[in-house]
Amino acid sequence: MDSLYSIYKQRGYTRRDFLKSSLLLATFLGLPPSAFPRVVEALELKPKPVVIWLEFQDCAGCTESFIRSTSILPSDVLLDYISLEYHETLMSPSGFYAEEAKREAIEKYKGKYILVVEGSLSPKSNGVYCTVSGKSNVELLKETAKNAGLIIAIGSCASWGGIPHAEPNPTGAIPVSQLLEDKKVVNIPGCPPIGDVVVAVIASYVITGKPPELDSMGRPKAFYGQTIHDRCYRRPFYNAGRFASSFDDENAKKGYCLYKLGCKGPITRNACATVGWNGGLSFPIRSGHPCFGCSEPDFWDRGFIYSPLSVVEGGFSWKKALVGVALGAVSGAVVGAVHKKLREGK
Amino acid sequence: MSDVAFYDFVRGPFLKLALFVFFIGIAYRFFRVVFLGLPKDYAKPKGNPYYMALKKIVIKPTMGWTFNEIFSRRAINFVGGFLFHLGFLGLTFLVPAHAFLWQEITGLPIPGVPNIVSDLLAYSALGSLIALTVHRALNPVLKLLTGKDEYLANFLIGAILFTGILATKWAGGGFYVWVLSTHMFLADLLILYIPFSRLSHFVYYFLSVGFMGWNAGKRGVSF
Repeated sequence: MDSLYSIYKQRGYTRRDFLKSSLLLATFLGLPPSAFPRVVEALELKPKPVVIWLEFQDCAGCTESFIRSTSILPSDVLLDYISLEYHETLMSPSGFYAEEAKREAIEKYKGKYILVVEGSLSPKSNGVYCTVSGKSNVELLKETAKNAGLIIAIGSCASWGGIPHAEPNPTGAIPVSQLLEDKKVVNIPGCPPIGDVVVAVIASYVITGKPPELDSMGRPKAFYGQTIHDRCYRRPFYNAGRFASSFDDENAKKGYCLYKLGCKGPITRNACATVGWNGGLSFPIRSGHPCFGCSEPDFWDRGFIYSPLSVVEGGFSWKKALVGVALGAVSGAVVGAVHKKLREGK
Repeated sequence: MSDVAFYDFVRGPFLKLALFVFFIGIAYRFFRVVFLGLPKDYAKPKGNPYYMALKKIVIKPTMGWTFNEIFSRRAINFVGGFLFHLGFLGLTFLVPAHAFLWQEITGLPIPGVPNIVSDLLAYSALGSLIALTVHRALNPVLKLLTGKDEYLANFLIGAILFTGILATKWAGGGFYVWVLSTHMFLADLLILYIPFSRLSHFVYYFLSVGFMGWNAGKRGVSF
């Protein structure tokens, strides 16, 4: 089976191009310089990864993001390198032939294939809300996950439940990890996640043979170890107390911090501010829009996309405050009057 | 519980609960005292109570500001007390994240200060709070006037200042959201605690100082 290096050669790329990609990958993964020869050796010799990609309650946006990741590998190499044995959106076969291809891949690459899951699961009413070829999503996931070498939940829907899980959650959507509690699941959240991060995690598995180091919520530490706020290029403006008050005011034009416009960067872990999107070209904050924290659990239910993080959720209510004052006033008056009577009675 | 779930809890339902209880408590405390009433006083006022009440409110913060008073006898009380209140109130209202909250509540355009100013306020407030607490624990007279309430309040405010500084100075890493959430959680606890402690002077300072002035005016004595 082809290795990454042989694909580079077939496509007419030079060894220098291959080494550049290997170096970039090692940097992405936060590996020390001493690990570089090991990375090159693995990518030169190890066969390309086999991937089975399942889609459940999703919008295919994660797939779109993945196939546009071009920072580490050129796009023609990427789609050649990652052997997508089953992917409902990208594969040409359909129906019986597609399902048969998946079954064969599971048998052939038992214990070796990477299972990527896009979209949330819906076990409610025996999984009737999401079925493929007559099988429920729960059944499909369990039978495919059984012999997977690595399981990746791609996107916020697969990682946390995402948009389908938002109130009122009519399909009872749950994340992959909740259904596969006995298995290690690598969560790569984001709506969508950064494609280059997905490529790096897959390549990291090829190199080391094991999942990358994960945090307590199953996210790779190399990409989700810090908040966007920590690495934001607008952070100096936050520190200096300079904020844009609207999308088109003078301060916005000067590139001031977007905290006041509702930026959720301080509580959002992702690599947007470092890796960037579209080959590192930009990310939402660089484009002038506040981060709305799409890679954190329940981001949709949090609401208040355009309110600062520090304000009262849903707005401060003077009406409720006055209700509190009235309650306090009545109880205070009663207690005070009773005490007075008791004192006078003595 | 994840850090973001804890964050959502402290800035969502817990903050709302704290604010609701705060308003209940503040009103309860005021009306209980009002309805408890004062013993009837039939004596004719010997001075002008309202003028003295106003005078007390205006000059109280600076009335001890003579060199001898400050530096010969009660330096820690005056300097520490002034720095602490200036720092804590400055931070409460003028740190940008806090200013946005007050702006939403009051509808007034409250200006935020840059980090360098909030740093100065925070370090002076925390340093003076520690000095005041140590002084309180060691001074033979203050020691007798101090109860658990004061130590608890000082600890709570100190923890809020410390976690606030930590959150501002965080240089990156996995625990930032925990630090920020802890800071907000402690602030919620303080909001809950204010009405039921001597910290209620945060709301009633001018009222109680004015009452003292009014009383002095009625009795015809000077401050």
